[in-house]
Amino acid sequence: MSQIAKEYPTPRGPLSILSGVSFSLRRGNAAAIMGPSGAGKSTLLYILGGLERASSGTVTLDGREPFALSEKELAAFRNQSIGFIFQDHCLLPQCSVLENVLAPTLVAKDAAGAVDRARDLLTQVGLGDRLEHRPAELSGGEKQRVALARALINKPLLLLCDEPTGNLDQASADVVAALLLDLHRRQESILIVVTHSAELAGRFPLRYELRNANLHPAGA
Amino acid sequence: MRISTLLARNLTWYWRTNLAVLLGVATASGVLGGALLVGDSVRASLRDLVLARLGDTDYVVARNGFFREELAASFGSARPIIAVSGMVAHPASGRRALGVQIYGVDGRFGAAPEGQQILLTAALAAELGAKAGDALLARVEKPSAIPLESLHGRKDDTGKTIRLTLGGAAAREFSLNPQQGDVRAAFVPLALLQRQLGEVGKVNTILVTGGGAPDLRAATLADLGIKIRTLANSLSVETDTTLVSDALAERVTAGAKSLGLNTQPILTYLANGIRANGREIPYSLVTALVTAPGAEDGITLNEWAARDLNAKPGDAVWLDYYVWQSDGRLHTESAQFRLAHVVPIAGAAADRDYAPEYPGITESNSLHDWDPPFPLDLHRVRPADEQYWKQYRATPKAFISLARGQQLWGTRFGKLTSIRVSPPSPKFAAALRAAIDPAQMGLSVIPVKARGLAASQGATDFGEYFVYFSFFLMVSALLLTGLFFKLGIEQRMREIGVLRALGFSMAKIRTLFLLEGAALAVAGSLAGVAGALAYGELMVFGLRTWWMGAVSTRLISLHPSLASLAMGAMAGIVTGLATIAWTLRKLEPVTPRGLLAGDMTRGSPKRGLLMGISAAILAFGMLGAAMLGALDQTAGFFGAGTLLLIAALTLQYALLKRRSSAMIGGWAGLALRNAAWRPGRSILCIAQIACATFLIVSVDAFRQTGDSAGTGGYPLMAESVLPLIHDPNTAAGREALNIPPLADVQFIPFRLRPGDDASCLNLYQPRNPRILAPPAAFTRNAHFAFADSVPRTANPWLLLDTPLAGGAVPAIADANSMTYVLHLNLGEDFVLNGTRFQIVGALRDSLFQSELLISEKNFLRLFPDVEGYRFFLLSAPPQTAQAVSGTLEEALADYGFDIQTTEARLAGFHRVENTYLSTFRSLGALGLVLGTVGLAAILLRNVLERRRELALLRAVGYRPRHLAGLVLAENLLLLTMGLATGTVCALLAVAPAVSVRGGQFPVASLGLLLAAVLATGVGASLAATRAVWRSPLTAALRSE
Repeated sequence: MSQIAKEYPTPRGPLSILSGVSFSLRRGNAAAIMGPSGAGKSTLLYILGGLERASSGTVTLDGREPFALSEKELAAFRNQSIGFIFQDHCLLPQCSVLENVLAPTLVAKDAAGAVDRARDLLTQVGLGDRLEHRPAELSGGEKQRVALARALINKPLLLLCDEPTGNLDQASADVVAALLLDLHRRQESILIVVTHSAELAGRFPLRYELRNANLHPAGA
Repeated sequence: MRISTLLARNLTWYWRTNLAVLLGVATASGVLGGALLVGDSVRASLRDLVLARLGDTDYVVARNGFFREELAASFGSARPIIAVSGMVAHPASGRRALGVQIYGVDGRFGAAPEGQQILLTAALAAELGAKAGDALLARVEKPSAIPLESLHGRKDDTGKTIRLTLGGAAAREFSLNPQQGDVRAAFVPLALLQRQLGEVGKVNTILVTGGGAPDLRAATLADLGIKIRTLANSLSVETDTTLVSDALAERVTAGAKSLGLNTQPILTYLANGIRANGREIPYSLVTALVTAPGAEDGITLNEWAARDLNAKPGDAVWLDYYVWQSDGRLHTESAQFRLAHVVPIAGAAADRDYAPEYPGITESNSLHDWDPPFPLDLHRVRPADEQYWKQYRATPKAFISLARGQQLWGTRFGKLTSIRVSPPSPKFAAALRAAIDPAQMGLSVIPVKARGLAASQGATDFGEYFVYFSFFLMVSALLLTGLFFKLGIEQRMREIGVLRALGFSMAKIRTLFLLEGAALAVAGSLAGVAGALAYGELMVFGLRTWWMGAVSTRLISLHPSLASLAMGAMAGIVTGLATIAWTLRKLEPVTPRGLLAGDMTRGSPKRGLLMGISAAILAFGMLGAAMLGALDQTAGFFGAGTLLLIAALTLQYALLKRRSSAMIGGWAGLALRNAAWRPGRSILCIAQIACATFLIVSVDAFRQTGDSAGTGGYPLMAESVLPLIHDPNTAAGREALNIPPLADVQFIPFRLRPGDDASCLNLYQPRNPRILAPPAAFTRNAHFAFADSVPRTANPWLLLDTPLAGGAVPAIADANSMTYVLHLNLGEDFVLNGTRFQIVGALRDSLFQSELLISEKNFLRLFPDVEGYRFFLLSAPPQTAQAVSGTLEEALADYGFDIQTTEARLAGFHRVENTYLSTFRSLGALGLVLGTVGLAAILLRNVLERRRELALLRAVGYRPRHLAGLVLAENLLLLTMGLATGTVCALLAVAPAVSVRGGQFPVASLGLLLAAVLATGVGASLAATRAVWRSPLTAALRSE
């Protein structure tokens, strides 16, 4: 990420959220980004994930600039290279646990072996016996584990988590965090988590703090 | 997992929303399919009526005159009958039914009456209030081979009254003419009718079943009304009418020529007097011959006449004679000649057979026994005249040239009385018969079943009309479909965001939703098939009951057609999908993050403002142009109306968008803020109510009122069953017709060729419209208003006598009939029975909606056999009009004279138009109901979305009435905006039309309808509030 800036137009002039944010991570890195509410953590995450355009600056992942891609290519890029986990899991209520995990494979170029992989991932997150359950039948922590499995189904290079334990009790949060880091390690992806939780951030080898529209190493 | 799995999951998970969408599509598809079914049903019902009423009759062989009953035997399965139009009176009740079809039938027809019995169809019996055993009087036109409008036609006794006893109800509703109304027919024994009409062994109609068209080769010359008398040295070709038409003369000449025979055309006429040298011979026959010697004004007298007149060659000789002119008067005219020769009564000059058989004259033994149908002064007859008659009978006393004779006495019925063919050949009769086309002599084959079935396609496509009438209902249903689909999408914004985050492209997501929409559209359309049947049945029921004024029959039933159901279903799929696609277009500008946050796009209000102002300027421009007459009122109404609605809705959309960031102030402000939260939803809701309100309000402004412009200023009009030959405007005519003197009453007699009603009162396609011919005096001073004419002229009536290029006959029609029933344009040519007509003028909303009008001159040329006058306009002082009606109907009862006010006639046409408007309004009201349902759905959805907010308000102490007030304020705001938008736009749009036509608004009924909609909306608000109040407080507060 190089010199990323993000401004929102307001009646009183542009509101700067991010200004000259630059950092780079390698495969296998895991970073936590902290900061107060409204600091722009989620904005940064969405820019990284190709869901929101930056006002200026560039994002490069594995040599590709997502915002230089067409809408169709960008969608395929997100599908193949990026996994998302949101605070409130964002599962499809109409689909079963297995189907939720398989949802990204519906538009994947190569979905061969997806079902086996989904079963495997769900087993890894401890939900191998809940494949046909609906999200409404799961606890908050279980839902987030399904979301984790879904994020990893296409073996993304970049895993982005927006307050993944924000809605969970301590025990569930611990389980989710452990799984997240464990699966990240196994897949050798780049993991970025934005969180309020100092405890969750403490599990990450790299920690940043977003303040004054820029990213600073935690504690600096 | 496959896309189809996800689709199935989506369809079942969001089943409530999807069901609503499905029902919306089903409603639209059902309404369209049902509307088309109405058209099918009307057509099929008309077809059924034709088939039921004709029975197994496929063809009819008919003639104006009578022919041998035995002719039927040559057509295989055929039944000879007499079919005449007449009237039936029920002396006990004093009621009489005019224009009744009276059939003379026997066992070959089916169940036939016997003896002196008469059978009536149920409708006719009910009309007369007659029951079995009652005495009835049937009056029919007495057949007369000799044209009434010729000198020898009997004009004083044109009808025949027969006393009969009602035997009961007729076994079948027989009718030869397609008609959707009740059959008013009477059946009497064939033999009895034949006797009463003096036509024993003869009929005028043969009903033929099956096979191809009947071959008329078996028809004899006698069946065609042609007689061949064998004379000493020649054959004399004569006709029942006593006149030989030009067409027959041409055939006779051709037939004779083919056998190498000679012909001599003859015209014999009765002279009231031959005068010369102050002397006069009364009542003498004069013959016009090609071979008559002398110049054009030369005359040859036989010796007897020359001696009696003391005339010698070179003397002036006058012939006095009667001429019956087409104005219904007997004129005495004179012609001067110069005596060229005097010939002895010998040889050709002694021929007694020059004259045809004149009933009441030629068979008499003396002049005093003559009983001619014209005045005769027997005091003028001298003994010498009687002696001549006794000795020479009908031997002519004078001869003139044929050219002069035809100039003096030729009529539209013919210019000859006979044609001599010599020498007499036994082969001539067969040659003549072979040369004659029976149709030329009036004997024709009518494919009644094929014609009836073709006519049952209808003049009005009710399917098309009901599609128009149901248009707003369909629009409402589609708006609801879009609304529910939109609600469904709004409900799933986060899901869309997730899918985008997972790598679904927008196109993929849209395809996914479109596939969902397609599944719903297909399912909805299939459900719509059932809806179409229900809607079609409801509409057909409506036509039989509430809107019977539009069809004038209860005999319409639902006839489902696969094609219409399929078309409705297909249209449902297409329009449903289009609506869904239109709703999905809104997704594009929303960012994935916005979607994840559940936001819809928030565009600028400026665009709406700009569009609204532009539309308003255009609308007012069109209104101004329509007011000034620069733009057609209909175009002005539709154009300005649509633009006004667009302007009002886009401006309100802009207003709602602006208000979304404004401060809240009071209940109204809060309602506005709530409505502005989802401006798209609110505008859809307002649009739905506004469109329906617009329709209802504007339709009422077009309702026809008691406008008297179409009466031409004539308060009364009349039709007679039997033709009036005498002119009722003259003292002699009134005396002949037995009409008492009436002050300030003027008759405008029209010739009428009966035919199919060309007005909106007839559901069948008029294949052979009624034709009227006004007198020349009327066309010079006509009072009726014209919508247009080609060319435009101050008095388009005069165009009727203007020759047209190509020989087309100029005709005038009412603009409504021309456009909606005959489906013709001004200036357009059309062919009726081989004659080309051209519409040169279109009357504006006149009483002449049932017929075409042509000039009397053309009428007499085209329909020489149609005699007398059967249609009348009457001018009378308004205060005496009613009394005049009673007096004339009584005086002319024998003619079946029926008077009605011209305003009643116009009101009859307007009733149909107003019924259509009522239908339109009723279905518009249904659209309004759907709009209210949409409003209630939005309201409930809004309330559900805000249930946490409302629960919070409850938690902080709000009471039910506070919440109700909150919800009600928003609902009332949307309702009021919709009603006001529709009403104001409608009032503005109809202003130009109303200012010209002078329509009026039924304020009370309209107010009631709008109040009902308001009440429904308020009820829905209260129900929604109650639902919120009854839901558990804590669950709502915890829910997301």
